[in-house]
Parts: sequence; C-alpha cells; structure tokens
Amino acid sequence: MFNSPKGSGYDSSSGQGATTIIARGVKVEGEFTSQSDVLIEGSVHGTFSTAGMLTVGTEAKIKADVNAGSALVSGTIEGNVIVGKHLEVKSTAKISGDVSAETITIESGAILSGRMSIGSKAVSAVESEAKVSGRRERGSTAAVLSES
Amino acid sequence: MNPAFGYLYDDFLSDRRFERDLGVLETELSRRGIQGQVGKLAMFRSAREMIVDMACAGVKNIVFVGNDKTLEKMMWFLPDVDVTIGYLPLAEPSQIGNLLAIPMGLGAVDILAARFIESFDVGKLDDRYFFTEVVVPSTTAALEIEGQYRVTPTRGGAIAIRNLGSISGKSAVSADGQDGWLEAVIQTPTEDGYRLFGSSPIAETHIRLKYGQLISKEPMDVFMDGHAVNGFVFRLSIVPHKLKIITGRRGGLLAEKEKV
Repeated sequence: MFNSPKGSGYDSSSGQGATTIIARGVKVEGEFTSQSDVLIEGSVHGTFSTAGMLTVGTEAKIKADVNAGSALVSGTIEGNVIVGKHLEVKSTAKISGDVSAETITIESGAILSGRMSIGSKAVSAVESEAKVSGRRERGSTAAVLSES
Repeated sequence: MNPAFGYLYDDFLSDRRFERDLGVLETELSRRGIQGQVGKLAMFRSAREMIVDMACAGVKNIVFVGNDKTLEKMMWFLPDVDVTIGYLPLAEPSQIGNLLAIPMGLGAVDILAARFIESFDVGKLDDRYFFTEVVVPSTTAALEIEGQYRVTPTRGGAIAIRNLGSISGKSAVSADGQDGWLEAVIQTPTEDGYRLFGSSPIAETHIRLKYGQLISKEPMDVFMDGHAVNGFVFRLSIVPHKLKIITGRRGGLLAEKEKV
C-alpha cells in the first residue's frame, strides 16, 4: 500500500463543472457524443456530436464530421459541419467541408472550403441526407462483412 | 448504550496524545445518547469481520473514528455492508470530512446526533470499490469511454477518475458524488508553457462517464483511494447510491432524514 501520489505530476487542486473539455495535448479517437457543452482545444478524429454548444479553440484540430446544437469555431475542422442553431466562425478558423446552420456569422479572415447551406430547412435537409448516407454506409459495410 | 450505534477506533488513537480527546468525545456521545459498542482496529484484526459482526449484532450506524486513512482502508468492501456510515475525524488528514461538511473533533458529534443521511455513488475499479478518486500519475495510458471513443494524453500526463472528489492536495476538490457519473480529469503539460518556480502550466481535460477502461501498453501504477494497484487494463464503472453516510451537508437533493 502507498499513499496518495504526491509530487507525481498530478495536481488535485482543480475542479470544474458539467462542461466537457478536451484540452491541448489530448487526442480523442472514435465516436464522440455528448449532451452537454463541449470545449475543444486538442484533437478529435472520428465523428463528433453534441446537443449543446461546441467551442473549437484556435489550437484545436478536428478531423471528423461535426454535429452540434450551436458552435463557435476558431480552430481547424476537416469534415462536414451541421449546426442546429447559430454557427460563429472566427477569423482564425479553417473549415474544409460542407457547412449548414440556421444562422451563420463569419469573421473576415476565416477560411471555408465547401458548400454552405443557411436556414432551418437547409439544416433539416442536410441532417436527413446525412442520416440516409450513414445508413447506406452501414448497409454497405454490413454487406461487405457478410460477404467476407 | 444505544444499540443502533457502533464505533471503530483507528489503531493510531491508542497513542496517549489522543487519550484526552477520546475521553471528551465519549462523554459527549454519552450525553447525546448515541454512545455505542466500540471496536479498536489493530494490525492483525480484520476490520471487515469487525464491521460485519457489528452489523449482525444489530448496529445500524457504524462510525469511524480517526482520519481519512481510516475510511480509505474500509472503502473497498464497505458499500456491500448494509449499514449507515458515520465519520468522526480526530486528526489530519480530514479532507473527506471537508467534502462531507464534517468538522474535526467535537463538532462532528453534532453532525452524528442530527443523523442527516445522504446516499452516495461509489466507483468501481475492476471489482473493488472506491469512494474519492482513482489516479494514474505520469502516464501515456488511454482512457476508453463507454466503448465509444478513446482519449489519450499525446505527450503524457496524469489521469484522475473522480467520484466524490480529490483529497490528495492541500485542499479538497469536490466532484458530484451523487449524480451517477464519474468525472475524468486528464492533466497534460502545455507545449508552449513557461516554467515558473519549477512547474510548467497544465491543461485540463474534463469528461463525464458511466463506465470505461484504462488501457496501457506498459504496466501502470493506479492509486485508488490512496492505495496502489498495478496492471495493464482496468475497468471503471459507477454504482449509484450505494453508500449511506451521515453528513453535515443539509439541503442535499438526495438526502433522506431518518430517525433512529
């Protein structure tokens, strides 16, 4: 038996509320889903979905299709972005992929490459299209698996 | 003597320094009508057997007298015993006391006498319970969350999985020990961090989880409630409302007031 790991690189004096934070120096891989607000400063690979507010920091690198309730993007996203309500794109942001949101604010200097759809109808159309293509992808994967 | 109460004194209280404190404490417990059977923990005496024996004898409230270490020694089995837990901290460290709003010394008797009971979640690391937190210091281990995704500190860092909170620092840090969630805290050194008084700034990742796994290619030391275990893979989960504790935190949402 040992005592608590003092002087071991762990500072126990910190605390935080219900917001999920992915800090710098941390990599997330896989299917990330959340109901709460999320702040990303690290990297994310896979798929990302949150019902809450997504904040993508300037150092953040996301290689994933992103689905969020609302979003503020200052970092890099490689993938399609669907935002239910408001998307704010800051001057430091780089988004490579199709973007859809009910309302969008884009600061001068931001880099966006892909199609853009604005309005609530556009969001629901893109969401249902994404669901259909997701089902097709899963279907084809299942077919490949069953063949093999 | 109140048959509903039993007291377990930690080994270190046999030191003469605590004779007077214990005398005053016992007098006060007697005055309040909550004095009870007393057991003394010792090196070759099984704490588990003593607790189970007390419970079988009809004791409903077992009160641990000592410090945080006293409670930590019991947590791996305590949630499986059908009793309400009380805590009388008489010495430092008493950070668990701080998290449960139980003052050190005689003030804790007021809390016991009021018998305000709250139910708490307990975490599980493989098949062993933990109450406060699990810490993996200086690691490149990954945390797999609910079979969905994996979180890795790319340049190494410390991983803590909190239930009630952290008690290993100078002051206790609370997590919500009643919400049915564990909170993962991953501390990583920042790349461009400047050094100040020998320590570099850290960034903190916070994620809530119901279950997951700690996975490492190298064997890792994991500290659960201060006790070390070693291995490559550890399963994590939470058992909601498993432990009933007498606390000083009036107004807790899941609290239930019971009369003896």
